[in-house]
Amino acid sequence: MLSYILRRIVATLPVMAIVALFVFSLLYIAPGDPAVVIAGDQASPEDVERIRQSLGLDRPFLVQFGGWVWRILHGDLGTSIFTNLPVSAMIGQRLGPTLSLMIVTLLLTIVVAVPLGVVAAWKAGSLIDRVIMGFAVFGFSLPVFVVGYMLAYIFALELEWLPVQGYTPLSQGFWPWLENLILPAIALGCVYIALVARITRAAMLEVLQQDYIRTAKAKGLGQGGILFIHALKNAAVPIVTVIGIGIALLIGGAVVTESVFAIPGLGRLTIDAILRRDYPVIQGIVLLFSFVYVLVNLMIDVVYTLVDPRIRY
Amino acid sequence: MSEELLRIDDLHVAFSTRRGMVEAVRGVTLTVKAGEMLGLVGESGSGKSVTGFATTRLLDAAGRVTAGKILFRGQDVTKLRGDDLRQLQGAAMSMIFQNPRAALNPIRAIGLQIADAILTHKRISKEAARAEALDLLRAVQIRDPEARMNAYPHELSGGMCQRVMIAIAISCNPALLIADEPTTGLDVTTQKVVMDLLADIAAARGMATILITHDLGLAARYCRRIAVMERGRIVEEASPGILFSAPQHAYTRRLVAASPTATSRIEDLVTEEERERYAPIVSKSRREPAHGTPPLLEVRKLAKRFDQGAAAVADFSMTMAGGESVGLVGESGSGKSTTSRMICRLIDPSEGDIVFDGQSIGHVAARDFHRSPLRKDIQMVFQDPNESLNPRFSAFDCIAHPLMRLGGMRAGEGLRKRVEECAERVGLPLDLLPRFPHQLSGGQKARVGIARAIACRPRLLVLDEPTAALDVSVQAVVLQLLDRLRRENDIALLFVSHDLNVVRMLCERTIVLRNGGIVEQGESRALFDNPKTDYTRKLVEAIPHIETGPMLAAAL
Repeated sequence: MLSYILRRIVATLPVMAIVALFVFSLLYIAPGDPAVVIAGDQASPEDVERIRQSLGLDRPFLVQFGGWVWRILHGDLGTSIFTNLPVSAMIGQRLGPTLSLMIVTLLLTIVVAVPLGVVAAWKAGSLIDRVIMGFAVFGFSLPVFVVGYMLAYIFALELEWLPVQGYTPLSQGFWPWLENLILPAIALGCVYIALVARITRAAMLEVLQQDYIRTAKAKGLGQGGILFIHALKNAAVPIVTVIGIGIALLIGGAVVTESVFAIPGLGRLTIDAILRRDYPVIQGIVLLFSFVYVLVNLMIDVVYTLVDPRIRY
Repeated sequence: MSEELLRIDDLHVAFSTRRGMVEAVRGVTLTVKAGEMLGLVGESGSGKSVTGFATTRLLDAAGRVTAGKILFRGQDVTKLRGDDLRQLQGAAMSMIFQNPRAALNPIRAIGLQIADAILTHKRISKEAARAEALDLLRAVQIRDPEARMNAYPHELSGGMCQRVMIAIAISCNPALLIADEPTTGLDVTTQKVVMDLLADIAAARGMATILITHDLGLAARYCRRIAVMERGRIVEEASPGILFSAPQHAYTRRLVAASPTATSRIEDLVTEEERERYAPIVSKSRREPAHGTPPLLEVRKLAKRFDQGAAAVADFSMTMAGGESVGLVGESGSGKSTTSRMICRLIDPSEGDIVFDGQSIGHVAARDFHRSPLRKDIQMVFQDPNESLNPRFSAFDCIAHPLMRLGGMRAGEGLRKRVEECAERVGLPLDLLPRFPHQLSGGQKARVGIARAIACRPRLLVLDEPTAALDVSVQAVVLQLLDRLRRENDIALLFVSHDLNVVRMLCERTIVLRNGGIVEQGESRALFDNPKTDYTRKLVEAIPHIETGPMLAAAL
């Protein structure tokens, strides 16, 4: 098992290397001289030259890339062109809110979507099934910002149950922290819940037709035992896969959600950095998100082996 | 012993399908006494399994009991709901299924699966249930039961999985056990061991058993009363002795005739009326090849090793003359399928050579062999006609495809004629050619598979269990067809099978394989009548013969 995890980690290294190369090349993929791009429209030739030298853009590409990777491996993501603060410090400040939002959304999705999918599969073809699947289509179709503003309007402005906007760190108490995250998590989770519920239903329908489910019935097992002990665990591999892939949805959605609910997280930082053409910050964030995504997939591979003894490691 | 345990009274079961309601069971009436083993025999679609599922209340959602009663200890099972039903299922009445590996949860340790059944019906601790599960594993004679408790189904053989299923089924000492094709798909030797075990356990615990099977010989060996089902009705009910010596119903007569026995010949497999057509062909003996003719196929010291572990096949040599029929038999894992696939050039041998018609083909890579001019000379018929036909190809396409790929024919009148010729050759009605596999019956699909294989006029046909998935009456027709093709078109047959009765009839020579090596070979009848090795003797003895049934029943 340990050697399997180690092998999987080693296998992620080439992926991370390619991601790093791509992220670094961002500067060069943008048309024109990177220094001019960074300096902006109103910069004087002196400004451009100063930026060029400070970024080391006058050196060969591979030398620059090597130096960049070397610094990253030592924890140095560079310095923001706009604020002159270390990128790692800027990301560190914003990490908490985004991480909180993503974890709450993830938990909400699993708690809501999986049971809904199981019930829909169990009662396949019934009214309950159609209602659940109807909601799923609805969840797919509504953009995050529409759901976000609707929720904020109904539950915050009209009913005044929850705060409209903002973020409170966990260090100031659990409820104030959660209170601010409920609406954003619902808005962000809509598509995700719809996706996971649909996949859960499909995977469960497949499993419920298997011979061993009939065996479980023949043993006299109750409906709950059949659904959750025998069926759901067998359906887990596709469900876990989609939950993992969905993390990418969350990353994209977080950028929009944070804007709607004024959460000072990485999403906002990303938008600001893009608008300011703050390349070191953009590179740092993209690299971080890619790393998280690779890590999540690694965890999913490990979960597979825990769920299914037939998957050999 | 004579107390009536189960009484099924005029049972009707219907399934709602896209084409409306279809009646699968139409008026079954039967009784089972406490402690007896009743055989319920019939071909696929006869409604025997549906009767079993209705009794244990395990019908699919689409199936519904539309009329009749199922009285178990005087209580109508069809009316039970909720907790009353669950107290019955797995406790008073249990069931074991065909394909034991699929019937076990693949990701749950078998010890837990047995304990599940116990914990559902008894208020005992998990530890006590685990101890009981261990005792049950011992009762079904699983070696090293402590270690097996934590094993998963994929780590066990098919026979072991069926023992685990039996352990689950008997865990709460049911009064009635319904065994639905419990040994179909298992080796003959494993089949005998599992059935003996089941019979012993049923006798020791006084359990009544309904043995649902398509195999008359099996029912005859283990049951003292057999009910024959056809199209949802019971057409005859008698003791095995009477059933086989003097079958009353026309369907029973056909079924008895089609069941291969230790002495039957291919022409015996049909009733008197149908025999006429076939007789003249059988009498036509094969042209003896002129002396000194090189063999059609010569296999020299063939070996196959897969990635890890021991050799699947080692040091396998054989020769075949044109138009000869050779059987390749052995238990599963004996390497017979691997050998046949190497000869067909579907997989590469690790060592050795294959010479076909004087040309060495053993070293042509399997993935390039389709370009060889010999590809059309060696064709294959696969085990499961359902799985081996492309569901999006019509019967016509299936037969035409090899003609276009290997025979160089173009779409048009000539191709259509040749396809129709092949269909006629295998007795496939021409109006079925535009149909897709799901619109054909099992026997029709088998014919399409054979027509496809003979389309390019091969000289060697390799058949991997071509009748294993077929009903006996369909099997009889397919066997006759193959025999006729061999005699009339001089096609050599290499027949891979675990069904020794079939091999004995169809093949002139037989090769017995074990663990990838040849144990024994020789002229089929001599080999089966006087086996020289214990292994072959065990294989032969394990086949349930219809003849032995009445004797056994009489002896009891």
